[in-house]
Amino acid sequence: MRTALAIARKDLRQRIRDRSAIVVGVIAPVVIAGLMSLAFNGVNNFHFTLGLVELDHGPVAAQLVRALDAPQLKRVITVQTVATKAQAASEIRSGVLAAALVIPAGFSSSVTGQHPEALTTLTSNNATIAGDVATSVASSFVAQVNADRLAFATAVAAGAPRRDTAQLIGIVARLRIPLQAVERPIGAHELKVISYYSPGMAIFFLLFTISYTARSFFVDRSQGMIERMRAAPVRPVEILAGKALSVFVYGVVSLATIGVVTTAAFGADWGAPGPAAVLGLALVFSVICLTALTIGLARTQRQAEGIGSIIVFGLALLGGDFFFISSAPSAIKHLALLTPNGWAIRGFTDLATIGGGFATIVEPVVAVLIFSAVVGAVALSLARRAVSS
Amino acid sequence: MTLTSSPGGATGAGAPAPGRTPVLDCAGLTKSFGTRLAVDGVGFRIFEGEVYGLLGPNGAGKTTTMKMVCGLLEPDKGTITIAGQQAIGNLDVKALIGYVPQDVALYPDLTARENLEFLARLYKLGRRTVAARVDEALELTELTDRRNDRLDSFSGGMKRRMNIAAGLLNHPKLLVLDEPTVGVDPQSRHAILERVQAFGREGLAVVYTTHYMEEAERVCDRVGIIDHGHLIAEGTRRELVAQLGEQDRISLSATGDLERLAEACRGVTGVTSAATAENSVHLVAGEGRHLLPAILEAADAAGIAVTSVDVVEPDLEAVFLNLTGTALRE
Repeated sequence: MRTALAIARKDLRQRIRDRSAIVVGVIAPVVIAGLMSLAFNGVNNFHFTLGLVELDHGPVAAQLVRALDAPQLKRVITVQTVATKAQAASEIRSGVLAAALVIPAGFSSSVTGQHPEALTTLTSNNATIAGDVATSVASSFVAQVNADRLAFATAVAAGAPRRDTAQLIGIVARLRIPLQAVERPIGAHELKVISYYSPGMAIFFLLFTISYTARSFFVDRSQGMIERMRAAPVRPVEILAGKALSVFVYGVVSLATIGVVTTAAFGADWGAPGPAAVLGLALVFSVICLTALTIGLARTQRQAEGIGSIIVFGLALLGGDFFFISSAPSAIKHLALLTPNGWAIRGFTDLATIGGGFATIVEPVVAVLIFSAVVGAVALSLARRAVSS
Repeated sequence: MTLTSSPGGATGAGAPAPGRTPVLDCAGLTKSFGTRLAVDGVGFRIFEGEVYGLLGPNGAGKTTTMKMVCGLLEPDKGTITIAGQQAIGNLDVKALIGYVPQDVALYPDLTARENLEFLARLYKLGRRTVAARVDEALELTELTDRRNDRLDSFSGGMKRRMNIAAGLLNHPKLLVLDEPTVGVDPQSRHAILERVQAFGREGLAVVYTTHYMEEAERVCDRVGIIDHGHLIAEGTRRELVAQLGEQDRISLSATGDLERLAEACRGVTGVTSAATAENSVHLVAGEGRHLLPAILEAADAAGIAVTSVDVVEPDLEAVFLNLTGTALRE
């Protein structure tokens, strides 16, 4: 153990002296998480200005204008009245408006006729989501109007007296389509972008420890230092333990520092400290096993760098360090569950949204440990051979 | 104790006294790498206070033998005993060995003190002992005032001295020096050789591998000559040279086809060995001075112009040439 401590201490001293380690371990993840949070902040606070071209001024159009003024939509849409369709198009092009809704003249009167006028949405390629939302609002309103028309026509077809038309219209107008999509987040809190990218970037840069440590092992070997260690009464497993210990300390300090800084500076939510720490430790353990695997598979420093890079970027892409895994294709979502970083990100985001303490991280921690056990078993025999040869 | 020149030549224990326990006793060491037999049945013994030279050309098997002695390679066959303990696979025995590898094996981004502290800790020494041994090593290398400087700011000679000092941190009984003067300037080389002689005087058993005949002659009490994985001769310089009898070593410098010159010389009666090395042809011949006219005549007949002739007393170079038919540095 004393030997492993001496090796770990020496490795950490070299790592600290090499300033790039601090850049990669702390500064870069914090900066990039902050930048990504800034870049994707719009996803959290989506809002746009909708131009309304009201050319009808009839009762049905008035209903649509009232619908746009509903509290649920105010969170997302600011409605700005525009005089003409051409003006709306011009303001969309200039970026003043994100989209526009045109209520054509005669829209209200056409609703009761055989050839109803169509609502038109003007959209831009620069604001596709705003266009989609405007079209969706219009479609929802049209669906309600069509339901009203159908109900009225059914009543008349069933023999309702024509003299009761006004009463019928009143009844139909109060009807609402019963099935509506209502947003109900399953988490106790909404997931903020920074709460996703802080662990995402911290884990991504933690993965770089794999190639850094594997590379330093082969540098040690080419400098004759592994041989010199083995000439002393040191077992190969003690050399590996020393390397692993340095990875462990570096990984834990890096994760903890990024956690504290992103929480304090950007308001990132990593969940309760205890469960987050356990999840972080499990993740660091998996990084140790992956480092041993890289050392075991490589024969030279260049191979170690190559294998390390493949592992780092492969895991980061599959595990969702760069993008919200929830918005990834189904295949990627499944593949993410084969990666320790995928499980860890899931664990951290669950802690941030659902909360729930240790119970929330049982599944991710067990998954990460199973991954580590499988990789570690293969790696240990390979890496011992690398140290002994 | 400093690593500087001091008067006095090679001393030490000389030939091993009967009944003394060897510090290193290896026998029948054999090692193959794939189909290549690197070391074949090598065995020798080294006693306290003795500097033993393992002399041979590059690729002869010296380093492989040393790595087996230090527990860095496991022999396919053979036994190694260090200070009476069976050494193969015995981790504790490594604490008795000081290993100085051929290339400088130290961290360039650590200071002299940090390097030595780290290496001393590998021997599981206590904190105070580590500090004392590091101070001692820095004093030995005359680097105390550079203790806090990074190694990458050191000269080549200073690094070599540090490399040797690192092998002494555990106060070994057996010091293994694998070609410690390769690439070293003459001044540092002289200092290192002086220090190696001093190790012998101080009671250490030293194995010194080299392909420099002059170094082996200067510092070693006994020499083992190794070639193609075989230990082909062993003894003191005097014993080895005596094998040659009254023969001399003749060096011929010439222009033209040296191999042809060597072949021509082999045909001269009295020449026992001829080999080319470093722009010259080396011969071993009985009563060399008297054979010179015949040798020059043979060279002339072969169409080679000899530019200089040097007849020297028999030395280890001549012994190696006589035993192997090749020069040490071909």
